[in-house]
Amino acid sequence: MTTITQDNKTPFSSKFLQFYKDRTLLAILLSLFAVMFVYGIFFTDNYLTITNFKAIIRDAALYGIMAIGLTFVTLSGNFFLLSLKETASICGVTFAMGMATGFGSPDLVGNFLVSLLAALSVGVLSGVIQGYFVGMGGNPIVVTLGGAGILYGIGAWWSDNLVINFKRPHDAEWLGTGSFLGLPSITLAFILIAIAAELVLRHTNFGRKVYLVGANKAAGRATGHENFSMAIIVFTICSVCCAFVAVAFVAQMDSAQSNYFSAEFGSSGDMTILVIATVMVGGNSIMGGYGSTLRTSLGAIFIAMVDNMMVLQGFNSGPRIVGVGLMIVFSIIVFGLFAKGSRAQE
Amino acid sequence: MASDPVLKITNVSRTFGAIQALKEANFEINEGEIMGLVGENGAGKSTLVKIISGFDPGFKGSYQLNGKEVKFDTPSKAEESGIAIAQQELSLIPNMSVAENIFLTGAKVKKFATLNTLSKMARPYLDEVGLTDIDPSTRINLLSVGEQHLVEVARLISREAKILILDEPTAALGELESRRILEMVQRLAKNGKSIIYVSHRLDEIFKITKRITILRDGVSQGVQETKDIDVNKLVEIMLGRELANMFPSRADHISLESKIEVKDLWPDGVLEPVSFSAYQGEILGLSGQLGSGAGEVLASIAGALKSRSGSLTLNGETFLPKSPSQAIKKKIAYCSSDRKKDGLFLGRPIFENLTSPALDTISKFGFNFGSTEDSYAKNLAQEFLIDVKRVYDESGLLSGGNQQKVALGKWLSIKPDVLLVNEPTRGVDVGAKSEIYQRMRELAARGITIIFASTDIQEITYLPDRVITFYRGMMIDEHRLEQIKTPVILKEITDPFNETNL
Repeated sequence: MTTITQDNKTPFSSKFLQFYKDRTLLAILLSLFAVMFVYGIFFTDNYLTITNFKAIIRDAALYGIMAIGLTFVTLSGNFFLLSLKETASICGVTFAMGMATGFGSPDLVGNFLVSLLAALSVGVLSGVIQGYFVGMGGNPIVVTLGGAGILYGIGAWWSDNLVINFKRPHDAEWLGTGSFLGLPSITLAFILIAIAAELVLRHTNFGRKVYLVGANKAAGRATGHENFSMAIIVFTICSVCCAFVAVAFVAQMDSAQSNYFSAEFGSSGDMTILVIATVMVGGNSIMGGYGSTLRTSLGAIFIAMVDNMMVLQGFNSGPRIVGVGLMIVFSIIVFGLFAKGSRAQE
Repeated sequence: MASDPVLKITNVSRTFGAIQALKEANFEINEGEIMGLVGENGAGKSTLVKIISGFDPGFKGSYQLNGKEVKFDTPSKAEESGIAIAQQELSLIPNMSVAENIFLTGAKVKKFATLNTLSKMARPYLDEVGLTDIDPSTRINLLSVGEQHLVEVARLISREAKILILDEPTAALGELESRRILEMVQRLAKNGKSIIYVSHRLDEIFKITKRITILRDGVSQGVQETKDIDVNKLVEIMLGRELANMFPSRADHISLESKIEVKDLWPDGVLEPVSFSAYQGEILGLSGQLGSGAGEVLASIAGALKSRSGSLTLNGETFLPKSPSQAIKKKIAYCSSDRKKDGLFLGRPIFENLTSPALDTISKFGFNFGSTEDSYAKNLAQEFLIDVKRVYDESGLLSGGNQQKVALGKWLSIKPDVLLVNEPTRGVDVGAKSEIYQRMRELAARGITIIFASTDIQEITYLPDRVITFYRGMMIDEHRLEQIKTPVILKEITDPFNETNL
C-alpha cells in the first residue's frame, strides 16, 4: 500500500552521537582506567610496583587472548562460544599428555612441538565441528553448550580425572614462565595477537566479511558472503586461541587436569564467564557487526586492573566475581544507551 | 440516493510535512452496501482508510456518521461507533484458539470463561462469516491464511461493527480462498452491514461491489455505479490522462541478441516451469500482483530461492545457481524487494555497503588497504547520485530513496551482465524514483540486461522495453515496446481468463 517517504533530516542528536560514539566509549573506558590508577596509587599498598603491573598484564593476557578469539565469533553475529573453558581443558590435557607420556611412544615424551601441534589440532577440530553445526543453522548457544559437555567429558575420561604432571626442566618453560625483553612471553604473545587480530579485522576481506555478516546475515548471503563458512572459520579461530592459552597455562603449571580452567584459573574462578565479560566490557555489540579486538584488549586490561585492585584490598574471590558481574552489567547499559542514540530506527 | 448514507466524508484533506496525501476526498456508503475503493499506489487509499477507521485524527474536513458530525481520536473510539477495519497484516495470535482470538479484548466475556463457553459464544459469528465447519477451539496457526482472514472479520463482527473496512483481503490468497472471502462479503452485506472493499484486483471489485469510489493523487474522482462502467474506463479514471514524464524514453528497438536464457525454471509459488529470454541491453519487466510468481522467478534466477528444475544460459554457459554467491560469480546481480531485510547492512557505513559484493576484486591477495576501496566506493556513489561526502555514514541514517540507491548501486561494483531488481522503487519518494528509472535506463544502454519485477502498474507500463505478465503463478503473455498498454496488462494480471465475464 501507500508508503509516504520523506527525506527526513537526521536529527542532530543522533548525528552527534554517531560521530562521537566511538570516541566517547573509549573516553569513558580510559577515564575509568585513570580513576582506578589514581585510586590505586593513593589507597592501595604495593600498587605502584613493576611486579604488580607485570602481574596485571599477565592476568589480562591469558583471558585476553581467548577474548580476542571470541571477539571474532561475537562480531560475526554468532553470539558466543560457550565451550571456552572446556576447549581449553581438553587442549591442556592433550598438551600435558604429550609432554608426560608422548601419547604412548617413548621417543616423543617431552617433545614440545608435537604436544603443541596435538593441542592445537584438537582446538581446530572442535572449532570446525561446532562451527559446522552453527553454520548449518544451529543455535550457537545450544550447539556450544552441547560441545562444552562433550569436550570436557572426553578430557576427563581420557585423563581419568587425574593431574598429569611433567617435571622441570621441560621444553615448554619459555612459554609458561619465560620472558623476553623483560616481558613474560604470554604477555608478548597477547600483544602480538592483539595487533594481528586488529589488522585482520581492518584490512582484510575476511575481516570485512566478519563485520558484514555480523551486521546482517540475510544481506550477507545476498551479497555472496555465507554464514556457513564464516561460522566455521570464526569458531576455529576462537578454539585455537583457547588451545594456545591452555598450552601456556599448562606449561606454567607443569601439570594439567581437566578442571583446571573452572577452579584453578585466574582469580575469578570461571574462565568462560571471565572471557565473555571481557568481550562485553570492551563494548562489542552482542548482536554482531560492531566492535573491534582493540576494544576487547582494553576490556581485558580493565578487568585485570579491577581484579588486581580488589586482591590488594584484601577481597576474596566471592566479591571479586561480583565485581566482574557488575562490570558486564555496566558496560551493557552504557553500550545500549549509545547504540540506541546512533542507530537509525527501522 | 435513495437513503441517507450511514457514513459520509466531504472535502477531507491530509498533509504529512510537505506531502499532500489527500487533497479533496469525498466518500460515502449506504447501509448494506459494498463500496469499492480503488486507486494506484500513493493515490491516498490507505490515508483515507486510516481516517475512516480512526487511526489518523489529524485531517481537515467533515466526517459524518448517521448524519452527525463525529471525530475519533483513536481506533477504539471508532470501533465503539461500529466502524472496524481488517488490515492486510492480520492481528491474530497464532498459537491461541479461534474462539480466544475472537474475544481477545475480553469485552462481553465473564471474568472466568472456559474455552468451551468461548467456543459456544464464537459459533454464531463464525457461521456468519462462513466458517461453519471450523471448530472454535482450533489453534489459529492450523488454519489457512484465507480462513484466518475470515476469523479476523468474525472478530470484528463480534464487536458489533456496522461498517467494515477490508483492506486488500485477497492480496495473499489463491483463487478458492479469495472466493470464500467474496462470498462472505456478499453475505454480510445482505445482513445489513456496510462494507468498504479496498483492492487492487479489479475483477473482484467488479464482481461484488455496487458502487466504486476512485482516488487519484489524493482527489476522489466521483462515485461510479459498477454496472455503468468497464475495466478500461475505470483504469483511465484511476491513472488520469496525463502521463508523468518521470520515465526515461525507451529504447527504439530491441536487440535480438539473447543475453540470458531462462529455461524451465520452477520455484515455489509458480505453478508450472517458466521459460523466457532477455536480450542484450534491454529492460524486461515482469508484471504481476503479489503472489503472481514474478518476484519468485527473479529470486530463483539469482539463486536466492530454490528452483525445482531448469537452467540458465548466460555467455554460452549453462548452469543453475544454488546460492547468491554462485550467481554473483556469473555476473548476475539481484536487488531484492526488502532492502531492510537482505538489501543493506544498515549498521555499517555506506562505502562498505557499496563494495560488499565485490570485495574480492578490490583487494590484493585478500588484503584491503583502504585507498582502492575508497575511490571505488566514491565512484559508485557519484554514479548513483549518492552524496559522496556521506559514504562514511551508517547507511541506516539515509532516507528510503537514498537507501534504495545504495541497495541497487552496490551491484554495479561487480560489473554485472544481468541485473535483477525486485520492486525497484518500493517505499521511495517521487524524486528518487525518477532518478532510479533514469539510472536503470542508462545501465541498459551500456549493455547490461535488466530484468525487474513490479506490482506498480505505471512503472511496468512506462519503464521496460518488454513486459511479461504473470497471474497466480502462471506466465500469461508478452508485450513489446509500443504494444505495452496499461489496460491490457492490468487485465492480464488481474483477470486473464475472463472470470468476471465483462
